[in-house]
Amino acid sequence: MGKDKKNLTPEQQKYQVLQQKHEIKRPIIKNCIRAFWVGGLICTVGQAITYFYIYFFNFTEQTAGNPTVATMVFLSMLLTGFGIYDHLAQFGGAGTAVPVTGFGNAVISAAIEHRTEGFVLGVGGNMFKLAGSVILFGVFSAFVVALIKTILIQWGVL
Amino acid sequence: MRTKHFIMTPIILLGLTGCGMGEDSKDSELALIKTTNPSPALIEKNTKEDLDLVESIKHDIASMKELYDVAIVKGKKDTLVAYKVKHFYRFQMKKIEKKMNEMLEKKYPDENFTVSSDYKIFLEAVKLNEKMKDPNFSQEKANKELKKIIKLKQELT
Repeated sequence: MGKDKKNLTPEQQKYQVLQQKHEIKRPIIKNCIRAFWVGGLICTVGQAITYFYIYFFNFTEQTAGNPTVATMVFLSMLLTGFGIYDHLAQFGGAGTAVPVTGFGNAVISAAIEHRTEGFVLGVGGNMFKLAGSVILFGVFSAFVVALIKTILIQWGVL
Repeated sequence: MRTKHFIMTPIILLGLTGCGMGEDSKDSELALIKTTNPSPALIEKNTKEDLDLVESIKHDIASMKELYDVAIVKGKKDTLVAYKVKHFYRFQMKKIEKKMNEMLEKKYPDENFTVSSDYKIFLEAVKLNEKMKDPNFSQEKANKELKKIIKLKQELT
């Protein structure tokens, strides 16, 4: 970068200063507030679904997590298919990407995108193109944490 | 316009189901949301001794500052203690459970306790408590239900 600046003509340098002056700043605080509200809304829906499973089925607080995650991924799949999740993600940003619905969106959108290439090599081969890294690092970090916990239990710390 | 419909429909549905639940005035219907504080229930004999025992258990547990709602059901062998933890103390749930277990074992060594902070167990305990008020509900059935709740508590997956 520094080397590039040296080679610039005075006009170019002047233009860079001008460009920096007029560049639109990223509205970080606004984005944070939007992510907070949208992410919170998704989590509220998740909590409502958890209560639904606890109240109407034989799930305890501990076991209700699994069907809740499945339902949330299913809902995000429907919303992605109808094209609503895109609008929501454009508005909410990280608030829609961080919860498990973001994972569902990543899987489904890749599947839809590669549908034209066929079911096996298209959908099957590309489904986890985006979400594969999430699974890999999730499994790996779970393994590391379990290893640390096992060692700590063996030592008698926990 | 269509997008709006897709977003609004689930919200309205959620709202309607939420309101529908409130129509029944039974305590168990709202046990997940508000404090119900049911009186302790006895399945077997209703002697004064036993009543005093459950009352004293309830008093001991309710005096813990971390809790805000306690339901107790005493069956033939087991005694179920379900409680709700104040939100601020929910990080220390395991510690609270350990403390409570130690306290109960020390004070009532003859009783067999099942302690749970799970909302589902609390809800079922309140439901069982309400069912037992009905004179047609037999002791056998109540004991069976209590066993079912304790089994549910032990399930992990």
